[in-house]
Amino acid sequence: MAYTFLGGIHLDERKNTAAMAAELYTDPKQVAIPMQQHIGAPCKPLVSVGDTVTVGQCIGENNNALCCSVHASVSGTVISLEERRGITGAPITHVVIENDFNYTPCPDMQGIQTPLESLSPEEIIERVRAAGIVGMGGATFPAYAKIQSALGKVKHLIINCAECEPYITANHRLMLEEPEAVLKGIKILIHTLGVRRAVIAVEDNKPDVIELLEKKIDDKALISVKVLKTKYPQGDERQIIYALYGKEIPTGKLPADVGCVLFNPETVACIYRALSTGMPVVNKRVTVDGDAIKKPRNLIVPIGTSFADVAEACGGTRKKLARLISGGPMMGQAQWSLDYCVTKGTGALLFLSDMKEEIGQCIRCGKCVRACQMHLMPALLAAYSEKEKYEECEKLGALSCVECGCCTYVCPGKVPIVQYIRNAKGAINEHRRRVGEKGGK
Amino acid sequence: MKLLKVSPSPHIRSSVSTASVMRDVIIALSPALIWAVYIFGFRALTVTLISVLSCVGAEYAFCAATKRKHSIKDLSAVVTGIILAFNLPVSVPLWLPMVGGVFAIVIVKMLFGGIGKNFLNPALAARVFLFLSFPAYMSGSFVKPAHKLSAFAISTSLDGVSSATPLTLIHESVSDNMLVDMFYGNIGGCLGEVSKLCLLLGLVYLLVRKVITWHIPFAYLSVFFLISFAFPMGEDEAIRYALSALLSGGVVLGAVFMATDYSTSPLTATGKLIFGALCGALTVFFRYFSNYPEGASFAILIMNCFVYYIDRITQPVKFGGGKNAGK
Repeated sequence: MAYTFLGGIHLDERKNTAAMAAELYTDPKQVAIPMQQHIGAPCKPLVSVGDTVTVGQCIGENNNALCCSVHASVSGTVISLEERRGITGAPITHVVIENDFNYTPCPDMQGIQTPLESLSPEEIIERVRAAGIVGMGGATFPAYAKIQSALGKVKHLIINCAECEPYITANHRLMLEEPEAVLKGIKILIHTLGVRRAVIAVEDNKPDVIELLEKKIDDKALISVKVLKTKYPQGDERQIIYALYGKEIPTGKLPADVGCVLFNPETVACIYRALSTGMPVVNKRVTVDGDAIKKPRNLIVPIGTSFADVAEACGGTRKKLARLISGGPMMGQAQWSLDYCVTKGTGALLFLSDMKEEIGQCIRCGKCVRACQMHLMPALLAAYSEKEKYEECEKLGALSCVECGCCTYVCPGKVPIVQYIRNAKGAINEHRRRVGEKGGK
Repeated sequence: MKLLKVSPSPHIRSSVSTASVMRDVIIALSPALIWAVYIFGFRALTVTLISVLSCVGAEYAFCAATKRKHSIKDLSAVVTGIILAFNLPVSVPLWLPMVGGVFAIVIVKMLFGGIGKNFLNPALAARVFLFLSFPAYMSGSFVKPAHKLSAFAISTSLDGVSSATPLTLIHESVSDNMLVDMFYGNIGGCLGEVSKLCLLLGLVYLLVRKVITWHIPFAYLSVFFLISFAFPMGEDEAIRYALSALLSGGVVLGAVFMATDYSTSPLTATGKLIFGALCGALTVFFRYFSNYPEGASFAILIMNCFVYYIDRITQPVKFGGGKNAGK
């Protein structure tokens, strides 16, 4: 019996690249590395124009805040420091490095030779922070902060390998290609967090991963594989915890509040690499797919590589290219040009043709109500939001919406439901902020 | 620099559209329509076509008159037209479905904002409107089964062939053969309601295609059956009475195609169960105590008015907001 949750939808999986081994891409002429690729404060650049840098050299940090260091992903010369608009549209400083194609590793990098057990959690956390590791599944929350906040609080360590969005196979390939790195990384986390065991949660559309893990895991009492039903959004942390343990995270709380902590397998592999070789996060596994790219494939891309270079490595784009999505098709972010670059949170790049969007009318079919993983009534939320009755939206639980997009996907009337709910959430939060300010005075 | 199209997530959509849903409903209705033509003759098709054309025409004309983009491509007016025709005796004069179609679309549907906004089922409201305005045509005479009428038979020439509908015979005892006839549709009655077999085929199709869920038809029919079984009328044994009650009149048509109308039924599963159960109970109530033979139409229309409240009281507990959250 596979574990699952209530609600959600079955999507056309389109895992076209599942059988394609990831290949290292080494051809970018230059990379533009953003000083902020994580949730938290931006880094301050440590290099200036003309400096020579090596792979893995720290080029940006900020030790006073929630922040993850940033490292050079290629060796070469810094040619400019410039302000560009980031993946969300906000201006961010970028360090542009010209590649000398030598990929000289940074001499300062050192792996830990002593046994893991001799390291204290604090030492490990410091290393994870210095290696610039964030939630590599796309959330980009600094991993060191997550470990810190989970210390002494959690019982269950979950490795989230659901990968429920269509197209994306980056984690799937990682599990097949580097299972040792992931398993060793899990042992480091078990040691750091002081938990008794860890669970790797995999959707049942990846039987090869499940089989391989069963073979590779030596201590089954320590690490076990749990099979989840393939359904979107099974990879949502709330729904994984609910599927595995039947626990609901209360509204406004975090997994740690129900004794759980979740990590993406790529994050875990990065932690292992950072500790064993000292190599920080310099590359990202990216699934490149969509109907407007000539050769869909999995790539391991130096961070800062432009989307245009990635497209070039995949045979180029087709004429019908109209949209580029960074991330999955359900929750990813649309990009306006090929000029921007791969960051630590880029799990997929989808080159898509245009979508005919015709906004229709709600026919009250109730499909969105059945699809909602948060058990809201999206049709009513959208209707009230359209009329700007945000108080009603608040009463109906608009703030619980996690914007997974299921309601909008299933809607036969083609109502942009989740966008209406986003509008309502924005208005409610704005209202609360104003009331809070008044109360403070 | 080529700028790409930027839109909020999600970036893919299901291929299911309002038109495809309505197409599925039309497919589900077709066995009953074919049966009606088989048993009542081609006049059944004529009545249905006129009803559909007047519904679609009324919607198109209304949108044109109010300067809106017309919505007839979503096929919902076609569904309304077919269901309205299904609720008429085959012998009605041909202007009756026209009047009914215009009433259903203009008064009941479009004036409230069109699809999804109307609070009464358009076909049913039109049926009751016709029933109260032209009782002689609507319930006076039912054509005998297998008395096939040509496509353009004039209604006044039909007097000699009428028979009573089983609903008016309900107090008499029914034989096993009659029950079988009632199941596959060898009885008199409204155009689309006679063959329960064809309607159930439609139900199975709707369930398989996930157009509707099982909640409303199940709650409706089981509550209707159980109450009829508990309080049988007439001389028959309870089970025989309950079966004949279930198989006569428009209960099955109502439970499968009319109570499940999206716009006028609740959104939640619990709401659908409550709605269906109350429809079933009210149908029995009208059959027992009212002067009209048909209870399903009134029952569903009355319950339509409570959908807003049912939605409110059955609002699901949001994830993480219940008593057990965090445990």
